[in-house]
Amino acid sequence: MKHALPYLEKPDNVTPGIPLYYATSCGVYNEGFPIVAKVREGRPIKLDGNDKSTLSNGGLDAIGQASILSLYDVNRLPNPLIKGVETNNWNEVDKEVINKLKAVSVEGKKIAVVTPSATGPVLQSAVNNFVNAYAGAEHISYDPISYSGILDANEASFGKRVIPNYQFSKADVIVSFGADFLGTWISPVRFQSDYSAKRVPTADNRKMSLHIQVESLLSVTGTNADHRFTMQDSQEGIYLMSLYNALAKNTGATQLRSTGDKELPGNGIKQIAEALLNAKGRSLVISKSNNKDHQVLVNHINMMLGNYGNAIDINKPYLSSTYSETKFEALVAGLQNGTFGGVVFVNTNPLYSYHNATALEKGLDNASVVISTSMVQDETSSKAAVHAPDNHFLESWDIKEPLKGHFVFSQPVMTRVFNTRQVIESLNIWAGSQVSSEEGSYKLVKEYFANNIGGDWKQAIHDGIAEVSTILSNVEGEIENAMLSLNSTVDVAAIESGAKKTGDLELILYQKVGPRDGTWSVNPWCHEMPDPVTKVCYDNYVTISKPDAEKLGIANGDMVSISSKNASIDKIPALVQPGQVRGTLGLAVGYGRNVNQKMDNDLRDLGHNAYPFVEMPGSSNSMVITSGIKIEKVGGNYEFALTQTHDTIEGRGHLREATLEEYKANPKVRNEHSHHLISLWNEHDLSTGHHWGMAIDMNACTGCGSCVVSCSIENNVPVVGRDEVRRRREMHWIRIDRYYSFGGSNGKSMTRQNDVDAASADLYEDVEVVYQPVMCQHCDHAPCETVCPVLATTHSSEGLNQMTYNRCIGTKYCGNNCPYKVRRFNWFRYNMNDKYDYHFNNELGRMVLNPDVTVRSRGVMEKCSFCVQNIQSAKLKAKKENRNLSDGDAQTACAKACPSNAIIFGDMNDPNSRISAIKKDERSYHMLEEVNTAPSVVYMTKIRNKK
Amino acid sequence: MSSTFYSSSTLVAVLILILVLLIIAGILYGIENNLKNLLRDKDPGSVESSYYQRVIKPVVSEWNPTIVTLVVIAFVVVIGGIYGFKFGMEEVGVQQGYSPDQPINFSHKIHAGTHKIDCQYCHSTASNSRHASIPSANTCMNCHAGVQKRDADGNVSVEIQKIYDAIGFDAETSKYIDGYEQKPIKWVRIHNLPDLAYFNHSQHVAIGKVECQTCHGPIEEMDKVFQFATLQMGWCVNCHRQRSVDMENNKYYEDLHSDLKSKGKHYISVAENGGLECGKCHY
Repeated sequence: MKHALPYLEKPDNVTPGIPLYYATSCGVYNEGFPIVAKVREGRPIKLDGNDKSTLSNGGLDAIGQASILSLYDVNRLPNPLIKGVETNNWNEVDKEVINKLKAVSVEGKKIAVVTPSATGPVLQSAVNNFVNAYAGAEHISYDPISYSGILDANEASFGKRVIPNYQFSKADVIVSFGADFLGTWISPVRFQSDYSAKRVPTADNRKMSLHIQVESLLSVTGTNADHRFTMQDSQEGIYLMSLYNALAKNTGATQLRSTGDKELPGNGIKQIAEALLNAKGRSLVISKSNNKDHQVLVNHINMMLGNYGNAIDINKPYLSSTYSETKFEALVAGLQNGTFGGVVFVNTNPLYSYHNATALEKGLDNASVVISTSMVQDETSSKAAVHAPDNHFLESWDIKEPLKGHFVFSQPVMTRVFNTRQVIESLNIWAGSQVSSEEGSYKLVKEYFANNIGGDWKQAIHDGIAEVSTILSNVEGEIENAMLSLNSTVDVAAIESGAKKTGDLELILYQKVGPRDGTWSVNPWCHEMPDPVTKVCYDNYVTISKPDAEKLGIANGDMVSISSKNASIDKIPALVQPGQVRGTLGLAVGYGRNVNQKMDNDLRDLGHNAYPFVEMPGSSNSMVITSGIKIEKVGGNYEFALTQTHDTIEGRGHLREATLEEYKANPKVRNEHSHHLISLWNEHDLSTGHHWGMAIDMNACTGCGSCVVSCSIENNVPVVGRDEVRRRREMHWIRIDRYYSFGGSNGKSMTRQNDVDAASADLYEDVEVVYQPVMCQHCDHAPCETVCPVLATTHSSEGLNQMTYNRCIGTKYCGNNCPYKVRRFNWFRYNMNDKYDYHFNNELGRMVLNPDVTVRSRGVMEKCSFCVQNIQSAKLKAKKENRNLSDGDAQTACAKACPSNAIIFGDMNDPNSRISAIKKDERSYHMLEEVNTAPSVVYMTKIRNKK
Repeated sequence: MSSTFYSSSTLVAVLILILVLLIIAGILYGIENNLKNLLRDKDPGSVESSYYQRVIKPVVSEWNPTIVTLVVIAFVVVIGGIYGFKFGMEEVGVQQGYSPDQPINFSHKIHAGTHKIDCQYCHSTASNSRHASIPSANTCMNCHAGVQKRDADGNVSVEIQKIYDAIGFDAETSKYIDGYEQKPIKWVRIHNLPDLAYFNHSQHVAIGKVECQTCHGPIEEMDKVFQFATLQMGWCVNCHRQRSVDMENNKYYEDLHSDLKSKGKHYISVAENGGLECGKCHY
C-alpha cells in the first residue's frame, strides 16, 4: 500500500511538482560565489551559476556543482557535542563555551578565533563582536592555500595588501608562470568565462587571444595554452628576471642585472617578450609563486607593459584571501608556550592542512578550550571540547563580498536538516549579544544590509547579488590607474639565492580540479569525476617525467616512497606524466582526509595527505620544495582507476585542430573534405517541429569537468566507486576525452602511439592537449537503434535517440554497435545496495535525486538523453504560456554548467537559434562523419594561436 | 520502502506460516494413522474401517501417482502464479478497481456530485503541475471551518473531526489551537504509476483539455473512489491515437500548424505529433 501525505497547510509558493529557484551563494568559495539553487518540494536538487552576476556568467565548476551533496551528507554532525557527548540543548553549549572562555580570559591568556581569511562582512562583524567581548581575544585567519606572496608584493608595490582583479577578457596576450587559473587558481570559474570569451574566433572576428604557459607540471591551464614551455619551479625567479630584462631592453627601462639571464628551452623568453611587446596594455602576466620577490617582479613586468588599469585592476580587488602565515605561525607558537589558552575554529581545519600539524596538535593539547564549528567531525574538531556545528551554506543567511563592492547574498533554500546553528549567531551569542532565537542570522544579515549596503532588500535577495558603486568610490586610498606607481624594488639577490640548484629533485604540490584543497573533498562526485589531465579517479599519486622515470626504473603505477626534510609517504603510486619537466615530481593535496565517516566506501582513507610537505622558507609558505626530496621504488604495482587508457588519436580525423594562421587563410581548414555517404535506411523526416542539436566548441572547452558532475546530478547517475571504474564500468553520460600529441613545437606533431613510443623520452615534455567532450550524438542514422532486438532504443520525431529502460533486456548490442562508445550498462543495482555505500544508499543522500528522472535498475543500458526532462518541461511551459519556444528555453545540464560556454544546445529547426548559426560555421564538423551516422552533435575545430 | 516488491514481508510470512501448519497437520495425521495401524495389528476387528479406507482409498489407489503429483504441482503453480502475477501487477499500479479504505471516508459524491464543487477547487495543481495533488488540509478548512455536520447531540461528524484533529481546530470555539502538534493525514494512493513512466497532469488538463472523468471515471458518483482506468500503456496509447492536437488556440503550435496546413494536413492526432514515442513518457 502506497501512501500520500499532503501538506496540512501548504505554503503559498510551493506547488508539488514545480521547481522553485533561489539565488544564493556557494560556500565552497569562502569569498562567496553567486549561484541559483533549484528546489523541488522544499529540497534543493541542483546548483547552477547565477547568470545575473558578472562573476559567474551562469557557469559553475565541478566542486561547486558537487557541493550540494554536502547538504545531504550523513557524516554531518546531527547535534552539538560537549566533550564528545551529544546534546540537543544549545543553551548548555553556550553556557559551557562562555564559562570556558571566561576562565581563559581571567587566566590572562589569549583567545584566538580562527576563520577563513575571506569572511564576508557579516561574519567579520560577528568576529569583531566576539573579539571585543573577551579580553585578549584575537582574530586570526587561516587558509589551506596561501596567496600571501601576491598580497605582500602588492603591499610593497602599491601599499595595498590585496589580490587585484585579474580580467582575462581584457588581455590579448596571457602569460602564466605556473598559475592554474582555469582549474584551481583564485577564482577559476570567473577566469574561465572571461578567458574563453577571447578564445573563440568567429566568422566576423577571426581573432583569439594568445596564451603562453610556463610551468613544471601539466596543469589544466597548461593543456589549454597555445604555447607551453617547461621550467623547473625553482628557476621561476631567474626566468622572470630574464623576461624583465628582455622587455626592458625594448622599452628602455634599466636592466635588473647584467649577467645570468637564462633562456627557456625553445627560445621561450624571446617569444614571450615579443608577444608581450606587441600587446602592450592588452596583456597580462601572472605567476602562481607564493614568493613575494617573484610577485614584486611580476608587478614590475605588468607595470612596464602598462597592464594596470586594463587587465589588472588593483582598485577593485578580489577579496578571496588576505591570509598571512605570520599570524597563524604566531598562534601555533603561542599555543605551545601557553600565551594562547583558547581557540575557536570557525569552519577551518588546520589540523588537516597545516604543514606542521604535530606542533599544532601539541599546542591544542595544551589549550584550555578548543571549539570547532565544522559541519562534520574532522581532524581539528576531534580536539575540540565543544563542537558547535554550523549550518550548511544552503541553510544559511549571509552576505559575501567576493569583489570589492560586489555583494553576493546567501539565503537558506531548505530548513535545517540537523540541529545546527549558524556560526554568525553562535559568535554573537558567545560575545554576549542578544540574538533572537527565531530570526537569528536573518535579522543580523538584514540589519547589516540596511545599515551598510542599502537598497531594496527583497530585490537584493531575489537577484542574489548587488553591485554597489557608491561603496566603490569611497574605497580607501584609491589610486588613479594612470597615477599608479611602484614603491617596490626587485630584490635580485634574494631571487638569485632562492634559485640555487641543489641537484635534487623538486616536489611541486598542486591542487586537482575535483578535490581542490581538500576542504570539501569528502564527496564522491569530486572523486568519481576523473582528473582532467591524468584521467585518474579516486587517488593521488606522484607524477614523474618520462626521463626521470626511466632513470629511476619506475614504470607507470609502480609504488614508490617519497620523503622530504619534513614529511614522507611510504607507499604511493607513481604516474608517468607527459608534459612534465624533468627533475620535478608532482603530488596533489586534498587527499588523505580523516573524518568520522559513517559510510563504508572508497572515500575512506583515500589517498595521502601532501600538506606535511609544505615548507616555510620565509614569511610565506611554499608548495615548491626544491631540496631534500628522495624518491625510491618500493615494489608493487598499483592499478589506477582510469576512464581513458589510450592517449593519442592515431592520426584519425574525429578530432580536428589547426593553427590560427591556417584558419585565417582558410576558415574551412581540416573540414574541406566531403565524404561519399551511403545510407541503408530510410531517412527520418525531421523537418517539422523541433530538431534538437548540440554544438561543442573545442576552442572554448577547457576540460574542467564541470559538465560531467552537472550531468551526474541532473540525471541521477550513480557513483560506482574505484573498482568498477577499473573495470571500465563508470556510468557518466558525458565524458571528456583528453588526447595528447607530441613534438608540436617543432613542426609536425606526432599523434600515433607507436611513433611516440619509438621516439626519445625527451619528446614527452613537448606535449599538446585537446579536450573533446563526448556524449550520445543522437544520430539521425543511429547504429544502436537498428540492432536493438526489443526496440528499447528508438528515434523521436524531434531527433532524439530515446532510451526506454523498462523495455531494455540488456543484450548490450546497442553499446557494441555505437561508434562513439557512449552507452553505459548498469551491471548492478546501484541504489539501496550496501555494496555501493554512497548517497544512493541512504535516505538523506537520496534527497538529491531528481524526481523527474528514473533511477535505473540493474541490467539496462543508459546514456545521455539530451536532458529530455528539461526539453519536455520547457515545451510544456511554453504551451501553458501560449507562446513559441524560444532559443535557450530548453537547456541541458552540461550546457548550463559550462563556465566557458563551450556547449550550446538548441533547436536546429529554429532558424534564429544559436545552434543553427553554429551549424553553418566553417569550423563545425561531425565526429566520424564518414560512417554517416548523421549525428545531432557538431564539434568545432580546435584552433591554436600559433604559427 | 514500505511497499516495494522485494520487501513485502507479509506475503512471505503468511506463506511460511501456511507451510509450517501443513507440516504439523501432516505429522499429526501420520501419528494418528500409525496408532490406528498398531491397534489394528493387535486386534483386527477393533477398529472400524474409516471413511477414507472405505470410500476414498479404492478410488485413489487406482490413480497414476506420477499424474497425480504433476496435477497437484500444476495446481499449486497456477494458483501461486495468479496470486504472484496480481501482486506484481499491483506493485506497478495495474490494479483496476482498486478501492482501499481511506483514513477519512471522504465522499466525492457529496462534494463533486451533490454540491458540484469544481474538481480543481481542491485538486488545484492539476492544471499547472505534474501532480494533481491531494489537497492540503487547509483547503478542506476553507469550507469546513464553518460547514459542520452535527448529530442530534451536537457532536461534529466523526469524519470532519478527523480534519480538525489533523490540523488542530477546536470546533467548539471555532478557533485554531495554538501550538498544536499537527498530524498529517495518511491517505492511501489509488493511482500509482510506476517510476519508469512520467505523467504530467497539466499537459493533459491545461493543454490537452481532457476531462477529469475521462481517466478517473464518474468520480462525482463515487462515495468511495476506485481506480477507473487500467492505467496501462495500451490504454494511454489508445487515447493518444484517438485524440487530436488542438493547434488552433495555442501559439506554441503556430509554426508547426502552418507547416502542416501547407502540406494539406488539418487534423493531427497526438500520436502523429509524436505522442507514441517512448521518450515522451519514459526517461
